Amino acid sequence: MRQPKLRRAMTAFVALAAAAALTACGGSGSGTDSAKDALEAPGAEVLEKATDKTTIEFWHGMKGANAAAIDKLVADFNAQSGGKVEVKPIYQGNYDETIAKYKASVQQKNTPALVQVYDIGSRFMVDSKQTVPMFKFIDKDKFNAGDIEPNIANYYSIDGKLQSMPFNTSTPLLYLNKEAFVRAGLDPTKPPTNLDEIGEMAKKLTVKDAGGKTVQYGFGAAIYGWLLEQLIATDGKEYCDNGNGRKGLATKVQFDQEIGVRVAQWWVDLVKGGYATNTGRKTDDAQAAFKAGTVAMHLESTGAMRGYVDAAKGKFTVLTAPYPKASSAATGGPIIGGASLWINGVGHSDKEKRAAWEFVKFAVSPAQQAKWHTGTGYVPVNAKALDEQIDKDWVAQYPQFKTAVDQLHALPPSVASAGCLLGVMPQARKASEDGLEAAIVGSKPADQAMKDAAASVQPAIDSYNKSVS
Amino acid sequence: MPPPRTVNAPPDDRASTVESTRSTVRRGKPARFTESGLGGLLLLPSVVVFVLFVFWPLGRTLYLSVHGNDLFGAPSVYVGAEHYREMLSADFGKVLATTGLFTLFSVVPAVLGALFVVLLLEARIRGVRVLRTAFALPFAFSVATASVVFAVIYNPAIGVANGVLGSLGIDRVNWLTDPSIALPAVCAATVWMNFGYNVLVLSAGVAAISPEVVEAARLDGASGWRLASRITVPLLSPQLFFLVVVSTIHALQSFGQIHILTKGGPDQATTTLVYSIYEKAFAFGSSDFGSASAQAVVLLVVMLGCTAVQFGILERRVHYR
Repeated sequence: MRQPKLRRAMTAFVALAAAAALTACGGSGSGTDSAKDALEAPGAEVLEKATDKTTIEFWHGMKGANAAAIDKLVADFNAQSGGKVEVKPIYQGNYDETIAKYKASVQQKNTPALVQVYDIGSRFMVDSKQTVPMFKFIDKDKFNAGDIEPNIANYYSIDGKLQSMPFNTSTPLLYLNKEAFVRAGLDPTKPPTNLDEIGEMAKKLTVKDAGGKTVQYGFGAAIYGWLLEQLIATDGKEYCDNGNGRKGLATKVQFDQEIGVRVAQWWVDLVKGGYATNTGRKTDDAQAAFKAGTVAMHLESTGAMRGYVDAAKGKFTVLTAPYPKASSAATGGPIIGGASLWINGVGHSDKEKRAAWEFVKFAVSPAQQAKWHTGTGYVPVNAKALDEQIDKDWVAQYPQFKTAVDQLHALPPSVASAGCLLGVMPQARKASEDGLEAAIVGSKPADQAMKDAAASVQPAIDSYNKSVS
Repeated sequence: MPPPRTVNAPPDDRASTVESTRSTVRRGKPARFTESGLGGLLLLPSVVVFVLFVFWPLGRTLYLSVHGNDLFGAPSVYVGAEHYREMLSADFGKVLATTGLFTLFSVVPAVLGALFVVLLLEARIRGVRVLRTAFALPFAFSVATASVVFAVIYNPAIGVANGVLGSLGIDRVNWLTDPSIALPAVCAATVWMNFGYNVLVLSAGVAAISPEVVEAARLDGASGWRLASRITVPLLSPQLFFLVVVSTIHALQSFGQIHILTKGGPDQATTTLVYSIYEKAFAFGSSDFGSASAQAVVLLVVMLGCTAVQFGILERRVHYR
């Protein structure tokens, strides 16, 4: 008699489990009813006249040492505001998660006054029509924005007008294992300057043991779309159309053009020849390979530098060189990536907007940027920060860092190096990684892989453009 | 029928008297408090929870699956079957195939392997309790913890797996970056994660087998393989069936190990249906809840289909005691 009972119980359990699988997705309706005033910048008087404390939320995507630096920055600000303003920093997960939560908060009409958004989310932030453009505060206060590094401001500007305040910035570098160069009879003071030279040197830097097993690869980097974007920019080419999405909404990505395919093919040849290791998309794995000394040349952000120097202590010497150019004829430079701060206007009082701006001014001041830069390894967005004593001491301790600053200052401002503004840029980056990976693992020829990848992001671009126009 | 118990009730209670004679238990209570009514009341809390957390989201998913999305992911215009039509592509076919392979190669080895181990543990050897605990231990690991451990094992440069191969003179294997190896590698991690639970369930099943049956079989001269295949396994069939059904559903829903180990890569080799839903809805700043919801509906259909087939085919061979 137990048979039907057990069977029924099992059926019920199964049906439940299946239905529960569906409960993961959801969203709720909303509209945007922004009054014109919401996107204007209030003057200093709104806080001066206030008698009570203004509390604002600051959503960010920093963890570990970077989060500690943010908490310190905020605590210092709150202490000097004389009890007028209190900023509450809230970690919302990584950049992708932060912007996902931000979207939900717009739907729920519950945005934070201040939010940190990655560079590739900039077009979306502009189109969301939720934020007060930064230039309005700058104009209102006659704030001297001239100290903000022009190449960094360039990324976050449309028609020369700053939309958000750059906060944390990193540039890509070429990392070298000095001892590997010496052992291979190469001069470590003459690092490769373009992809062809990396290819040549990688052959000499690849070492096999007696059994024919590779113990050191010449080159290794994560399959990271950001690195491809940089290489395309060094060639002076635009990543997406309509002037990198700055003259109007971009309607397509261009990484499937000659330069994108050339980079993919270069990478494929190195991996196929056994001169480069493919550690996949995870930057952690590529970093581990360089730290372990199994890779002699490596592309990564300045943000990884300190970890490399610490990990290599006693094993090898980490050198840095300017990011390689796509070819010997290329004259451009890399894009300045990172994240910026956006002040939300819709749904926020003048006091809150003003409080957010006061914090932004504080955060990009030379003294604070020097602390931030030395605490995290990001490039200071304020040029004067480099004159602060703690900054000078830090650069003396990590001379490898000077490469990043020199590279930043040597870069001629250009549309290509301003980077592509695209509403669905995160998806475009992912698509370019799909293309690179398909080519590198050999499932498609490079040109086909990049073409398919560019095509795969087209529906997302079209539907985005439809929803904002 | 016992006599009515309301004979001494005051006159004003007479109205309920007739009814109360039927429900012989509660004297003087209003008639609407019948047993079935009370049952309904007791069910109410779980019904509320179900409606809120299962049926409403299910309805919402169906609604979202036929709507477009605005910039922030909120449903906009009605698009009919558009999101379902999008799925008629080679890419989505590959996702379904990957889901099928992942399910097959994470469920079958985990169930058969656990069965093998449990049968071996029947042997009366010293330290069998320690072994039993050891084999059940993976159950104590969360998916996230186990995945991080496997990520370190599989690491191309510093991983233990390549270290062991290297000491044997074998060239390194790109566990998670070679499209033909990544899926088996993730399956292997999943098998390890599910192994402990399977061992626990089957051990309990073996313990519940009546000793007389085994004794009788032994007296008849059955032992070893014969005893296992003719007596133990058939008597374990309810547990085996339960594990197959539940692990299949579990495998179809797997997310953590894929997210931590491969993020669906390399070259989409480990993008299962659940991972594809996640990417559409949340990853890379995407908030395409319409397509994600349509895929979620497909996932539900696939799950119900799998389970129906399992009940239709496998259950006939199950021997319930």
